[in-house]
Amino acid sequence: MTFRKPWASPLFPFSWQDLALTVTLFSCAMVLCFFLQDAGVIEGFAPPVFVLTVLLVSRLTTGYLFGFIAAVLGTVCVNFVFTYPYWAFNLSLSGYPLTFFMLLMVSLITCTLTAQAKRQAKLLAENEREKMRANLLRSVSHDIRTPLTSIVGSTSAVLENPGLSPPEQRELLQNAREEAQWLIRVVENLLSITRMGDAQARISKEPEPAEEVLGAAAQKFRRRFPQVNVTVSAPEELLMVPMDPILIEQVLANLLENAAVHGGAANIALSLEAEESQARFVIRDDGQGIPKRELDGLFDGRPKPHRAPDGDGKRNMGLGLSVCRAIVLAHGGTIRARNRSPGAELSFSLPITCKEASL
Amino acid sequence: MNIREKILVIEDEKSIAQFIAAVLDGQGYETIQARSGQEGLSMITSHCPDLVILDLGLPDMDGLDILRQLRSWSSLPVVVVSARSHERDKVTALDQGADDYLTKPFGTGELLARVRTAIRHTRTASGNDEIAQQGTYSVGELVIDYNKHQVLVRGENVKLTLGEFRIVALLGKHAGKVLTYDYIIKELWGPRAGSGNQILRVNMANIRRKIERNPAEPEYLFTEVGVGYRLAEGEWTLPRP
Repeated sequence: MTFRKPWASPLFPFSWQDLALTVTLFSCAMVLCFFLQDAGVIEGFAPPVFVLTVLLVSRLTTGYLFGFIAAVLGTVCVNFVFTYPYWAFNLSLSGYPLTFFMLLMVSLITCTLTAQAKRQAKLLAENEREKMRANLLRSVSHDIRTPLTSIVGSTSAVLENPGLSPPEQRELLQNAREEAQWLIRVVENLLSITRMGDAQARISKEPEPAEEVLGAAAQKFRRRFPQVNVTVSAPEELLMVPMDPILIEQVLANLLENAAVHGGAANIALSLEAEESQARFVIRDDGQGIPKRELDGLFDGRPKPHRAPDGDGKRNMGLGLSVCRAIVLAHGGTIRARNRSPGAELSFSLPITCKEASL
Repeated sequence: MNIREKILVIEDEKSIAQFIAAVLDGQGYETIQARSGQEGLSMITSHCPDLVILDLGLPDMDGLDILRQLRSWSSLPVVVVSARSHERDKVTALDQGADDYLTKPFGTGELLARVRTAIRHTRTASGNDEIAQQGTYSVGELVIDYNKHQVLVRGENVKLTLGEFRIVALLGKHAGKVLTYDYIIKELWGPRAGSGNQILRVNMANIRRKIERNPAEPEYLFTEVGVGYRLAEGEWTLPRP
């Protein structure tokens, strides 16, 4: 499935994969019919067997090419091999044109339905992205205003009031810097979105040592939040996980930052766990946890209603988390959040294809 | 009075050039500024700076062209500063001879650390004073002994294989600098080595398991995600208790 692009569909695309599939299905049908023939019950059974074969081929291959070939082949098989007279064409057989017509219709209808289903799935995925984008724009415009106001305000206050004492000036400038750093993080998330490209592009995944990404994310986080204690653990065995490492680093950065900023955590444990066919990244903190009413739909990126304690909910975590979700989904993974006592646990899993022993 | 290192800042954005100059002046460097690529190139020949800070997005030419021209006749250290954040851009600049790469926005602490590292590497031809004089490189509790082909951690030989030692040795010669995966592979396995970096990555995982206390939290061998590896230098600090 990986090499096919149903949306770039010509009507008669050729692929070796589909050819192999067609050949296999027909071989199976032939073998089945030979058995039936040996048992002497072939009359009446051959046509339905090939109807089913044509249906399967049409359903499982892309485009109309193989469905059409299957209809022709099916007719030939039914007429030539499995109906009296055996191993001979009998074009006078009254049902022959009807058989061909029916098989062709089966193939045509199935192919059309298959193409439709694929188109719909693609539309759904596109809708999902569109929704994310819309939420994103909303949450960005919401997120950017407050810090910008603060930066402009603080710096103007310093410039226009020469009478301010040095500590006051310092505090204002510090505020401006903090807000600017917040904006940097918003921009980094936006970059991640552009990196995931438009609706049709796929992210480029390479097997990457997961522990390296983990270590790098923790190191950057420590530079930003030196007061938070982070511990990192990874299994002894090296885990190579197919991913876009820059995007996954962004996911980790967002989750770590959320734990520190929203959870107010003092300790964060970042760990990597190998599961059967997945690598699980877990971020556990000892902060105040996620408010119950935000836990549902935490990742859908809608700006949250005003939270009472913060006044106007100034630091919206919607953007970062919806970016996390989009990135993880694009990797074919899953992301989860739950509360522990105390604190919260956010985790995401990515599928592994290759595992390598370490020593 | 000692001679101050002269740093040329080639950057068209006045506000950024000014703040870089202010930070460097504050640390005792002498700075000169160029607003365009041509001006920058002529100032390199006329002022002979010790280091160039180069913006890639200049109005008259691509910063990478300046780098290419400069590298054809000089090994003057260049720290690239750019708003292009894709790791492909970083890798290109590093492979074209940049000594380091800072993505905008960057902090002043980061800028100074890179500048110090880049200047230190020019002092000796081999890139590293200590290696030239004593045949060793040490940082924190790690010692690379180039004569005996050994790596010692807290005084003990960690028994790297030859291949692993060559990776650490190469990183040691350029300590503090990011070496791209491709560069390391070409240096160690020759230009015809395949483009895949899996062997290097697995080797690095093994080295970390021998050298680092916690391979997921390296103290010496850092990963620059998507770009390459860097061995700790100078700024090494004891891990928190």
